[in-house]
Parts: sequence; C-alpha cells; structure tokens
Amino acid sequence: MVVFALLIISKAGGLIYNREFNAGLAKLSSNDLLILAGTFHGVHAITRSLAPVATHPANRLSSAPPSSIAAPFPLRPTGLEVLESSHFRLTCFQTVTGTKFLLFTEPSQPNVDVVIKRIYELYADFVMKNPFYTIEMPVRCQKFDGALDGYIKGNVR
Amino acid sequence: MTVYSFYIFDRHTECIYSRRWHARPTSSTAKNARPQSSSTITSNGESTAGGRRVLSKEDDAKLIFGTIFSLRNLAQRLGGEENNFISYRTNEYKLHYYETPTRIKFVMVTDTKMNNLRVALHQIWANLYVEYVVKNPLSPQEHAGGVGVANELFEEGLERFVSTVLAT
Repeated sequence: MVVFALLIISKAGGLIYNREFNAGLAKLSSNDLLILAGTFHGVHAITRSLAPVATHPANRLSSAPPSSIAAPFPLRPTGLEVLESSHFRLTCFQTVTGTKFLLFTEPSQPNVDVVIKRIYELYADFVMKNPFYTIEMPVRCQKFDGALDGYIKGNVR
Repeated sequence: MTVYSFYIFDRHTECIYSRRWHARPTSSTAKNARPQSSSTITSNGESTAGGRRVLSKEDDAKLIFGTIFSLRNLAQRLGGEENNFISYRTNEYKLHYYETPTRIKFVMVTDTKMNNLRVALHQIWANLYVEYVVKNPLSPQEHAGGVGVANELFEEGLERFVSTVLAT
C-alpha cells in the first residue's frame, strides 16, 4: 500500500503543488510536470464532454417519468475520476471551485477517496486559511507539508 | 452491464472502425441537414441537449483518440516505457483501452460498473480482428478510411461477442 505523489492543479490548469511521498514514479523535471498538469487539465475537460449517448441528458429525460426529473441535485458530469494503468492508479478529485487534486497510488490501494477528502481538508485548513497565501499561486506552506507528511506516513501506509 | 461504443484506431491515428450500441438522441437528427464542410463551430447551427453539445460520430472518435493518446503518454512518462494505460472512469462512463504490439488501439466505452475489459479487447483482437480482417485476402494492408475492417464476418462476430460475453 503505497501513495506515490500528490499534485494540485489550479482551476486555470496550472500546477500549484507537487509532492512525492514514495519513490516509484519516474522522476520528472518541474517543466515536464507543468506540461503534464496542463495536458491533464485539457483531457479532463474533454472526458467531461464525451458522454455516451445512453447517459446523455436528452435521453435520460425522455425515458424517465416526469416525476423523477425534479431531483434536487441532478447528476453533473465530472470528467475523469480514476485512471488505471499497470503501475499506478491516478485518482482525481475536483472541488466545486475547479481545483483538482491528483493522487498517484498503487493500483491496489483501497479507500483512496477517503485519503483525498482528508487531503482536501488539510488544504482548506493550512493553505486557504493562510493569510499570506495568494489564491491560484503555487502553494508554499510549511504547515501543509508537515500535515500531509504526518497524515500520509502515519495513516495510509 | 452496458456497452455503449467500440472503436479501433490504426497506427496512423485514424479511426478505422466505430460502432455504437445505443441510438443517438433525437435532437441530433437535424444535424444531418447541416452542410458537412463547416468545420468551425457555429453557435446557432449546433444541436444541443441538456446544455451540452451533441457530438457527431467523427468528432467523438477524434476526441476519444486525443484523450487516449494523451493519457497513454502520461502513463508512459510517469510509469516508464512498459507501463500500460488500462482504463479510466468518470461518473457517467468507463473507457477501456488495449493496444497491440503493432500499435492498433482498441477502445470500448461501457457503463461504470463494468470490470476490466483488457482481456476482452485482447480476445476481440486475436479472435475477430486477426481472423477476419488481417487474414482476409481481399482486405488491404492499411485500412485507410476503414476499408476492409467492417466486413460481414467481423461485424457479426463482434455483435455476438458483445451480446453474449459482455452483456451478462
């Protein structure tokens, strides 16, 4: 059970935080990481628009009885959530404001959504509540680093 | 367990076969009347459904190729050369991917509850594509524009495979 790395992508597609917890992924230069984040941002937008026809809102509305349309929160397309490859699994969590948390884990890691929610909480506590942090800018907060280390090394592994 | 669509891309990035198992939404039928030459997106000529644009079959295939190409490169760059991109999932669908050593790419889009289809895609390649397309003496070596892939035996076999193996 290994968590490899965490990336945070701003809503504009820029990489604002990257952290490696365990070795296992290829070493990338910071430039390559920026390219990777930008590519992922674009692909994420494409995957959201690629709805298969059967789940398309037009089809769903026509087949569903009229009473069920008035659901309080209609299902919104999320874009890529989990990517599986033979060496790692990438879980993407997008906040309501569009910030994306990318967590690279082993393919067999359980409960990744719990881990990623907890990381989001840490981000809210130590980055968003930091008065010296400018929004949409790279995250440089020692407390956040420390809390992440403590959580990942203490609980996940 | 539902299979939505299936695509084959050749090594020249061209979509040589595509198949959908669900009817397109009715709003998109008006799109056929539109002239095909316009490649730019006009705001009034597009058919929309539920606030989203309904993509034509060709646009869909191009977007899917762009997606799998980027994700495959991402997986290889992060995990090394022998790391294979297997699948990705959104809250609406799951896309399965299999690439042969000759870089023919097989893509299947299913609902989110489907298990890993890598083996199934490998079987489609080995038992249907190789048997009915590659070994067909009348089929050209390169399938530019999809020539030679959509023959009767292959389509029948694919139909049978999807309805028996994957529908359970």
